[in-house]
Amino acid sequence: MRKAVSDRAFALALFLPALVALIVTTTAPLVYLAWNSAMRIDLSMPWLGGFAGVDNYAKMGADPRFWNSLWLTLIYTVTTVVLQVTLGLSLALLVLRIPRGQAALRVAAILPLVLAPVVVGLFWRTLVLSPDVGLVDVVTRALGLGSHNWLGDPQLALISVIAIHTWQWTPLAFLVFLASLASLPPDVFEAARIDRASAWQRFVHITLPLMRPAIVIVVIMRTMIALSAFAAIFAATGGGPGTATEILNLYAYRTSFSELNLGYGAALAMVLLAITLVVSLLMFRVRRRR
Amino acid sequence: MKRARTVALVVLAAALLAIWAFPVLWALLTSFKTERDVLAYPPTVIFTPTLRNYHDVLFGATSLLPNLLSSVIVAGVSTLLTLLLAIPAAYALARLDFPGKRTSGFYVLATQMLPPVGLIIPYYLVLQKIGGLDTYAGLIVIYLTFSLPFAIWLMVSYFEDIPHEMEEAALLDRAGRLRALWYVILPQARGGIAVTTIFVFLNAWNEFLFAVVLGGNRVRPVTVAMFNFISVEQTLWAKLAAGAMLAMAPVILLGLLAQRHIVKGLTVGAVKGGGRR
Repeated sequence: MRKAVSDRAFALALFLPALVALIVTTTAPLVYLAWNSAMRIDLSMPWLGGFAGVDNYAKMGADPRFWNSLWLTLIYTVTTVVLQVTLGLSLALLVLRIPRGQAALRVAAILPLVLAPVVVGLFWRTLVLSPDVGLVDVVTRALGLGSHNWLGDPQLALISVIAIHTWQWTPLAFLVFLASLASLPPDVFEAARIDRASAWQRFVHITLPLMRPAIVIVVIMRTMIALSAFAAIFAATGGGPGTATEILNLYAYRTSFSELNLGYGAALAMVLLAITLVVSLLMFRVRRRR
Repeated sequence: MKRARTVALVVLAAALLAIWAFPVLWALLTSFKTERDVLAYPPTVIFTPTLRNYHDVLFGATSLLPNLLSSVIVAGVSTLLTLLLAIPAAYALARLDFPGKRTSGFYVLATQMLPPVGLIIPYYLVLQKIGGLDTYAGLIVIYLTFSLPFAIWLMVSYFEDIPHEMEEAALLDRAGRLRALWYVILPQARGGIAVTTIFVFLNAWNEFLFAVVLGGNRVRPVTVAMFNFISVEQTLWAKLAAGAMLAMAPVILLGLLAQRHIVKGLTVGAVKGGGRR
């Protein structure tokens, strides 16, 4: 009996410092955020401060810029995740056939992953997507497709930031799927080959189901990251031109720190938080189901 | 037919290598060119290298040295702090029993899901009130937000991989639990600790949002410095490249040297679920 108590005390002693740190750095600020979202905090007009109740949220419903950001967030998240998973999986499947190239490719794959997203965004903005001198423009002009303002044109800007995000993070999906594929049991494939199943059939009925856990995990991870993606977009377009790449968290940031309307910004952040929680709960539900 | 296929695959692999490695290689090459060489068209691969750009970036008017120092301090100390808190906590979650353990586990997982933009607003307001803006202490503690949950979760999966027998053997030896942890378990988890350290440091070094909002003139990590750099030094490609190389050198080196560890960490993460990056 004594030992059980001292055992638990020992466990708590190990765990509590981290728990306290977590509460202080995550939960307490969230409570404060919720509180702020019910206040009017406009640093550009500080005399108007005070309790606002649900005003900020009501305002949100009628705010077209909010709905725009929501829509952009949806497109951005879905597109980048789908691209990363399909590209990562396809590349992994293809590269699996070249055992000698794999080591070099693993090193190359690490490079985009270790760079700071802000630097990646800046790099793409200056070198790759600049009109006339940028890499992409040089290629499109050589192909006769003309020069475009890849980041300054509202239509193209969203595609550009999606491309940047996908470039940086596809290697992660690639590496995970490569490792996962390499660990699949070969006898199942042998049996299928003996049964004269075609390559496509083998893929759909054996490979995909066996890869399901890895795919689900990658989808969950990448979705969470896409929802909170900030630095690369901020560096490349700042959310612009206008609001063409202003996903929800960029809108929240701009509202708070460019327009100094912290109350409304807090409310926007709360909505993003709610969306993230709901999405993650749904995804974990899906994961649990097998 | 098989030959054609192999060739196609090799071409694909080469293309991938080029696409992924290009930015770093280009920046490396350009950083040793003079600005004139950079603007040459078609782009030159053979040129007389110069160290002028690095000299300017390190010792010139807009030196990156103070920023590198800031990054080292913030990333280094926050990594250390994270490990000190996360390793014991992860061991408790993985191997021990205590009241509220299950809920705590979920709680740690949940804290990983928080979008950072939701936290900077309260952080900014609080730090402003207590005068913690633009201080090392402020930034270091706040970096725990993303480092701690991730580190705990990662270490839990590594601790879970250690066979029970090892622990039981240590305890049978009449060693106290603390000694068992220190002398037996931790050495076993060395690989996991290495991977965790790498990832936590990487994330901390590359952090931008917290650094730009909560830092200032005194505490300005390289990520923020690079951001300012670009708007000032617009078309000085060579200097820009040198700056970027310096800013990213630690993480690139870390990535290349610890490449096997990183790939392993990513896949462990994938198998056990979740994670920030």
